[in-house]
Amino acid sequence: MNHNEEMMRELAERIYDLDAEVYIQLGSSLGRVFDRDRERCVTEMMRLMLERDQSHVLRSQLALISNMARTISDRESRKMIMSEYNNILHDVIELPTSFGTGEILDQSRAELLEPNLKKHLKERFSNQDHLVICIGRTYGCGGSEIGFTLADSLKINYYDVEIFSEVIKRLEAEQDVIEDKAAFPSPYKKITGKDGTEEYVYQQRAFVPEQKNGIRTAFRNFNRYHGLSKRDAVYFNQSDLICDMSKNEDFVIMGRCADLILTNNHIPHISIFITAPVERRIRRIMEINKGMSEKEARRLVKKMDHKHRKYYGFYTGSKWGMPCNYDLCINSSSYGIEGSVELIRRMMEQE
Amino acid sequence: MKKWMMLFGGLMMAMISPDTVMAAEAATEAASGTAAVGLGWFCIPFAGLLLCVALFPLINPELWEKYQPAVVALWSVLFIIPFAMFFGAGEAAETVLECLVNDYLAFIVLLFGLFCVAGNITLEGDLAGSPRINILLLTIGTLLSSWIGTTGASMLMVRPVIKMNSWRKRKAHIMVFFIFLISNIGGCLTPIGDPPLLMGFSRGVPFFWSLIQLPVMLFNMVVLLFLFYWIDRKNYRKDIAEGRKPDISKPGTEIKLEGLHNLIFVAMIVAAVILSGTLPSLPMFQDATGAVLGLPIYKEVHLPYPTIIEIVIILTAAFLSFKTTNAEIRRKNHFTWGAIREVAILFVGIFITMQPALMLLKSMGGSLHITEPYQMFWVTGGLSSFLDNTPTYLVFLTTAGAMELGSGIVTALGTVPVKLLMAISSGAVFMGANTYIGNAPNMMVKAISDENGIRMPSFFGYLAWSLRILIPVFLLDTVLFFL
Repeated sequence: MNHNEEMMRELAERIYDLDAEVYIQLGSSLGRVFDRDRERCVTEMMRLMLERDQSHVLRSQLALISNMARTISDRESRKMIMSEYNNILHDVIELPTSFGTGEILDQSRAELLEPNLKKHLKERFSNQDHLVICIGRTYGCGGSEIGFTLADSLKINYYDVEIFSEVIKRLEAEQDVIEDKAAFPSPYKKITGKDGTEEYVYQQRAFVPEQKNGIRTAFRNFNRYHGLSKRDAVYFNQSDLICDMSKNEDFVIMGRCADLILTNNHIPHISIFITAPVERRIRRIMEINKGMSEKEARRLVKKMDHKHRKYYGFYTGSKWGMPCNYDLCINSSSYGIEGSVELIRRMMEQE
Repeated sequence: MKKWMMLFGGLMMAMISPDTVMAAEAATEAASGTAAVGLGWFCIPFAGLLLCVALFPLINPELWEKYQPAVVALWSVLFIIPFAMFFGAGEAAETVLECLVNDYLAFIVLLFGLFCVAGNITLEGDLAGSPRINILLLTIGTLLSSWIGTTGASMLMVRPVIKMNSWRKRKAHIMVFFIFLISNIGGCLTPIGDPPLLMGFSRGVPFFWSLIQLPVMLFNMVVLLFLFYWIDRKNYRKDIAEGRKPDISKPGTEIKLEGLHNLIFVAMIVAAVILSGTLPSLPMFQDATGAVLGLPIYKEVHLPYPTIIEIVIILTAAFLSFKTTNAEIRRKNHFTWGAIREVAILFVGIFITMQPALMLLKSMGGSLHITEPYQMFWVTGGLSSFLDNTPTYLVFLTTAGAMELGSGIVTALGTVPVKLLMAISSGAVFMGANTYIGNAPNMMVKAISDENGIRMPSFFGYLAWSLRILIPVFLLDTVLFFL
């Protein structure tokens, strides 16, 4: 970290502390300017300081803090806070317009990396971090099998619909009334045996269609999901759960916008997107689902991909499957399931 | 955005350019017959004050906040002194006192009362601000506006809306639509809703007549909420994409309203407003000539007894509200005097400096040859966007009453055709939403939002919102209801 970055971090931390102090002094419950965790807000502010055209946003946020600070009733506290505000403002004005050098590195992604990461994917993770591999995939490309085999070979957990089941528990809802919008009909499900051991079993459907509800249920759901739609409530809980899990264990997670969720929370991970040519995927689906016509398979692929593109786009604002959003994109038809797993492992373990 | 700013700048220049002023003078003279009354020139301080309100916060917000009272005083003096030199000190004093005692006092006391009482009610809970929750809140607020007044509904709803959306980054648009719907459009159904309608009620328009505007209000509400939903959804998605999320870690929602007994004081204030509209028509409050009795202040300036009763009731409600509510509730609500102070200062200047504009309007109203509902809608509305909508409404109600256009609503000012009265009422109520200064709650909502971490649009920024969203809706209103 160079001198400029240290200076910016210190300044960002002072701004965050100022906002926190203003909020404590006011005792308001109506919200504050930096309402997320310290590290994320500080990083965000540093990014604003670095970006050529974003410095006005930081000044605007400072102005909002000062608007609130001016309403502190205790004169002494107000004076102290406004004095710190003026010092910060002075330092912000003194900042060079930009520290940018035309580097193509995206700071928000790059900060997840160790200096030598560009060569070794696995070195992205420090000793305190857990290995998290996020896999996005098109329908029928064998992505779930690749994810499952990868998790098995790395001896780490594999999560797909299990995430959804856990979210349902958190929301105290019944699984049969919520559709898992983020899921493909996954072929694998983790079950706990009588002896307490966990194993994966093959299954056809991971979710059930959403049911129509009456007014009473609508009211109950309104209360249960904090006024949000079921889909949003599940997504927000899922985000919390994925972040919590990443602090405790290594795992492979399928879909669920996990890559963007972890990036937004500055949690190191590897993001992979797996796809294959449509014709090859259709053929595979027909092979798996005996009796399914080509027309039906084509329609299913189109429908599933569309659903996931929409879901991913809605929650991340990014394009699903766009190579620039991932660390690695694989055409599974070129390598097969085992070959793709091998490829990923080789990339991760390359010295 | 830039185009709209240029257009508005052009309009402002036209407003204060000598040619326009001369034209206004000529019209004034022609209409009133008074010689060389240069009322148009006296509008310059009003335009100057508006420009300061619009530009100062953009140029230097800190200085604006510090010197706001001085700027308001300066423009007020710049109006009063030349006016006194032209018409005499007595006339100037009477004009200023008349507007302060008869208009401003009741206006600011009502705002103050509702601001205090609503600040003592807090909503505790973890409902997450999302497009559908916001639609629900805006709908409740809009429907409430006609029954507790636009100011009452705004003050009551503003904090819950801010609180539920506190997790979001992009929320200024929510407050803009809040102003459109709750602070203005929702108030068109009863005389309690907005002061112009109360004025109409005191001039003989039946209390429930305004309900005739329900289809117009519903149409506007539906169109605006539809637009709001898509704008909010887009911003909501951007917030989520940045990793923002509400705290919904606990299963189930707990909603708790504290300080609920203050609703009694809200009812007291609403009753006071109704009384201020009904008492003046009672014989015991009138002298032999039918003029409303009041406390003499200066020459012809009287503080009417019904207004005194209204003020006493409102201040009592505010006092009782403070005495009976735990200070912790105000702390949670981030209750400060900043918002009401800002509005009180700005509007005292606006009330004083807009007097010549209102005089011009009064003298020119009859000579404008406005006879069609669509004309009434736009002229009443356009002027209400910048001037006080109550006198504007009264001028055009008087004009319409004097035109003897046949059957319609019988008022003390003459019989006014239903469609014409609807156009005047809708114009006055709806178009107060066009600018921050069009209606007092607009400024209050802006000030409270500014104090709570929401970057509200500037004067011109807000104007751009109304030009893009409201004006097309009002054009649709014209086609559907007023042609």
